Amino acid sequence: MTGSTLSGKTESSPRYSRTRGSKSCRFGLVCGALGVVAILVVWQILSLVVNPVFLASPGDTAKALVRLAWEGRLWVELLITLKRLVTGLLLGAAAGWALGILAGLDRRLRSFFEPVRWVVMTVPAVIIAMLAMLWFGLGDSTVIFMVAVIVFPTMFVNTVSGAMSVDTRLVEMARVYRFPRRLMLTEVYLPAIASPVLAGLTLAAGIGVRAVVLGEVLGATSGIGHAFSRAHSWLETDELFAWIVVLLLLMGVIEFGALRPLRKRAARWRSAGS
Amino acid sequence: MISLANVSKFFGSLVLFENLSLHVGKGQIVAIVGPSGSGKTTILKMIAGIISPDRGTVTLGSPHLSYVFQETRLLPWRSALDNVAIPLRARGVEKTAARATAGQWLKKVGLEGFENYRPAELSGGMAQRVAIARALATQPHILLMDEPLANVDVELKASLLELLVSFIRKNEATVVYVTHELTEALQIADRIVEVMPDRSLRELELSDRVAVARDWLARSLGKLGAAL
Repeated sequence: MTGSTLSGKTESSPRYSRTRGSKSCRFGLVCGALGVVAILVVWQILSLVVNPVFLASPGDTAKALVRLAWEGRLWVELLITLKRLVTGLLLGAAAGWALGILAGLDRRLRSFFEPVRWVVMTVPAVIIAMLAMLWFGLGDSTVIFMVAVIVFPTMFVNTVSGAMSVDTRLVEMARVYRFPRRLMLTEVYLPAIASPVLAGLTLAAGIGVRAVVLGEVLGATSGIGHAFSRAHSWLETDELFAWIVVLLLLMGVIEFGALRPLRKRAARWRSAGS
Repeated sequence: MISLANVSKFFGSLVLFENLSLHVGKGQIVAIVGPSGSGKTTILKMIAGIISPDRGTVTLGSPHLSYVFQETRLLPWRSALDNVAIPLRARGVEKTAARATAGQWLKKVGLEGFENYRPAELSGGMAQRVAIARALATQPHILLMDEPLANVDVELKASLLELLVSFIRKNEATVVYVTHELTEALQIADRIVEVMPDRSLRELELSDRVAVARDWLARSLGKLGAAL
């Protein structure tokens, strides 16, 4: 009688309420906004007592920002930096992710890659920049190489720790049910490591922004880092601060526009029952 | 068919089993009973190939095996329907057909309407029923079950046992069913094997089974009398 059907769902499914979550979310947004206001207030007060050559006021910074946007320089430099950042980030993150999975699943590979990770993490960013300039000269390749090399170990370490913490009981289940390699990867390993990988990508994006600016200051003749360096040389402090704001906005767009929604999506199953 | 011949398993200096032998014929249901920590799950894991015996051999008549684990081991990021459908896809069933079959099995275990729920949104008993549906949907030749009804409500237990028995009889599946409930073993098994304190296996004779049944009946009647 395999066709029989059970009736009477006596066990009730646990439900969950979102009311408390949305309240705490609204509270978090208000607190965040208050933090931004506090920074602006402190900045404004400091700018009243410090010489404008050393510290531009929020008002002067905003004016410089509008001027840069109006002249078009903002968009040109932003696009150049964005292209370098995204290319370097993708290359470094992809390499860190792929090698991190391999190293996480195989102890021998983990030992093999460990010295590489150690060297890349230990060598200061300035030295990587100097070597890149020596090998590639000034321009895109130097900056992209720098970003990729600096981003790689963060992604690698996060992916390795994610792959090592995959629930072995699920792996056993998949083996018993003879999941082919593709299903094992897509249904067991990748969803399990999604959260640590995205956390790594968030860290890597922050490091990448710093790396791209450093690379452009030292080894490029264009981009936000170069514009920043130029404004610094000419003591155009309002422009200098305007470029800092642009960098913060860029990081904000990457974090809140792309990475945070991705992290939320990857962790949806975790919060489902809570 | 399942055969364990002179199997030994050690954990460090601890001897878990020594020269253990067990034969389960095709289409037979053998229940293994014993207290917690007696090594029942280890026997199942050796049969499933999850752990290897240190000595002896484990022979299976078919590689087509399903396992209902004590903890459900459902993919937490997948819906109930996907959890049942994915092992079918692993066996080469096309995606749409796998999902259709999965839906039918969820209905059979009383979870119609819960197809899109993730494991964390289901109660323990409901998740266990998804795990049972996952195991049966692949139509296995060998079925290993580790306390599959431990978290299921009493009212549903009888219906699920009926579903399991009818599936096993129809498919001539070879079954090893681990439980610590002797009465549950009596209802489902052709043979009952008890793990003894010295970790040897003892097959319960007919007289033992009658004694267990008599004891159970007496307790049930006692409860009924008290209730009346």
